[in-house]
Amino acid sequence: MNGTWRLSWHGVRTVAALELRQRVRSTRWIVALVVWFVVVGAITALTTGALGTLTGQDTSPLHRGPLLFFVVTFLVLGLGLLVTPTLSSTAVNGDRAAGTLATVQVTLLTPAEIATGKLLGAFAAATAFLVASLPFYGLAMAMGGTRVLTLVSVVVVTAVILASVCGMGIGFSALTARTAGSTVLTFLGVSALAVFTLVFFGLTLPANTSQEQVRVWGVSPSSASSALASDATTSVTSPTCEWRVETRPVTHTERTWWLLAANPFVVVSDASAVPQQDLRTVTSPFAAIREAIRTARAGATGVSNECWGPTGQAALPTEGPRPSTVPVWPWGLGFSVLLGAAGYVTAVRRLRIPQRTLPRGVRVA
Amino acid sequence: MTSDVAASAVPAQPRSPGPGGPDGIRTAGVVRSFGAVRALDGVDLHARAGRVTALVGPNGSGKTTLLLVLAGLLAPDAGTVSIDGYDPVTDGPAARARTGWMPDTFGTWDSLTAREVLRTFAAAYRLPAASVGARVDELLALVHLSEYADRPAAVLSRGQKQRLGLARALVHDPAVLLLDEPASGLDPRSRVDLRELLRRLADDGRTVLVSSHVLSELEEMADDAVFLSRGRTVLTGDTDATLGTAGSRRPWRVRALDAEALQGWLTSVHAAWRPDDDGVLIDVDGDEGAARLVRDAVAAGVPLVSIAPAGGVLEQAYLALDEERR
Repeated sequence: MNGTWRLSWHGVRTVAALELRQRVRSTRWIVALVVWFVVVGAITALTTGALGTLTGQDTSPLHRGPLLFFVVTFLVLGLGLLVTPTLSSTAVNGDRAAGTLATVQVTLLTPAEIATGKLLGAFAAATAFLVASLPFYGLAMAMGGTRVLTLVSVVVVTAVILASVCGMGIGFSALTARTAGSTVLTFLGVSALAVFTLVFFGLTLPANTSQEQVRVWGVSPSSASSALASDATTSVTSPTCEWRVETRPVTHTERTWWLLAANPFVVVSDASAVPQQDLRTVTSPFAAIREAIRTARAGATGVSNECWGPTGQAALPTEGPRPSTVPVWPWGLGFSVLLGAAGYVTAVRRLRIPQRTLPRGVRVA
Repeated sequence: MTSDVAASAVPAQPRSPGPGGPDGIRTAGVVRSFGAVRALDGVDLHARAGRVTALVGPNGSGKTTLLLVLAGLLAPDAGTVSIDGYDPVTDGPAARARTGWMPDTFGTWDSLTAREVLRTFAAAYRLPAASVGARVDELLALVHLSEYADRPAAVLSRGQKQRLGLARALVHDPAVLLLDEPASGLDPRSRVDLRELLRRLADDGRTVLVSSHVLSELEEMADDAVFLSRGRTVLTGDTDATLGTAGSRRPWRVRALDAEALQGWLTSVHAAWRPDDDGVLIDVDGDEGAARLVRDAVAAGVPLVSIAPAGGVLEQAYLALDEERR
């Protein structure tokens, strides 16, 4: 309709340049970047020191590197989720309040060009924070144990998540008349993804738990008693295990795993491309989180391996059901991108002129 | 500054008129409501190309709403609008390409310089990149902001911002100009400049629609006037011919060297007069009545200094409307 969705690079660049110029020139922006750098730097340095003390002198740096990389990733993503809403959530209603939006709308720029330019401007600002954090990613990489592929995927996924938040912010800023309202809504949206998903997952666990029959591969009572009868310390033989059926509380996380999958931290962890490791020797928390989300998705298998001996866990006699290795992150990332795209589309539709209906409290100019 | 700057700065580019030729602004039965409030309730107007048309009306009469509809920002609930032959609703981009709109409150991007503001709008109107620099310099000279070109718009005074807003509305050399209270905040010199500029723009064949409630100011620049009251057009016409109604009876202000001699003479000829701050007000039957008054007074030896209509034509028409309404 009247070329609402027509996009030209010229138009997008005009709006984006306008947005960036304003941001770059405000001193607040420089201060924010410096504060960001100092905070991320300080926490990274403290973490490095703490890791050194906690893991002791003899621990190889191979273990400290992935840990530090994990800390930096979550720190940057967490702070990014805090900062990004303020970059985009006043893009439309802020301009409207300043009396500059209508003068842009009456030009030959299409609504899609205005919205895209604003999105690009906000995203570029968010990216600047990400770029300011790159030295600390680099530091963690220098400590070894992290693949370049992990760095690339973590940074790219973080950037896509922040772009989605920008889209949500622009959508809310086009929907609400007051800038305070849209900022609060954007923060709520981010909290819904980052915090509420975890809370809801936890709160729904009891409702998803019921008493069910489980096949247990466990140490047979006779084997256990004979082990007790003999001198336990000299018993190095593997325990004899057997199948039995028990009634136990079983939690069906396969019904609610998607709550976790929508969480940006889970998405980044699952996408981190850290090699699959045995849980007992895991060195990167990313792998642990990935293992946890994939186990949660598999849910209750009806089988439990409890055949523990002095040498660790013995294998099941038959191949038990293993958690699927299909990645979870495309779902979560797709969901975030969908939310961001919905915000962007909302903004474009709200920027169309001539306006027929005006939202309550909105002045045209 | 001099008016020849203005003359050279408004390029006489051949503008492509709409399908109906340079038709100006036409509206018929335009209605627009905000919830229960009917801001426009049947506006019919024709602002002709080549003329400056005044949009007059009390606060809340729908002037700004009408300009928003004409600028293509608001869709009318009913009625038709044509900007140089293009409908801003169905043919938005074509209509907007021909429209320069200056809102009553002009917001600026605080950290951008005046030059950058104009460059941005030149780009937004898709002016060829090669011509943008020269065009922006022209416009800055036109509104006398050349020396402020590279200062942030935030430090400009209200009047300077207003002038920047005018330059912004002219960036794409529009055929139709919609100005909402353009003179507010302007110093006397700038008001004269504005008047001359609008005159020149109209003489080039553009349609200029100016809203204001400062009637004396409008009267100096307008050829035609449209009166809005409660969202309706209540009177339209030529400021001199129709509204001034040369033959109609209206008060004139008369001053003489010797006020007592003037008053004595008026009383002796049984003329109805009332004292004014430094003269008297007399109801006179148009220009001819005034000529008769001058002739008789001079013949009677009254030392006349000046005689002029009290209050402008627009003010008279406006007040007459107001009386009718009550």
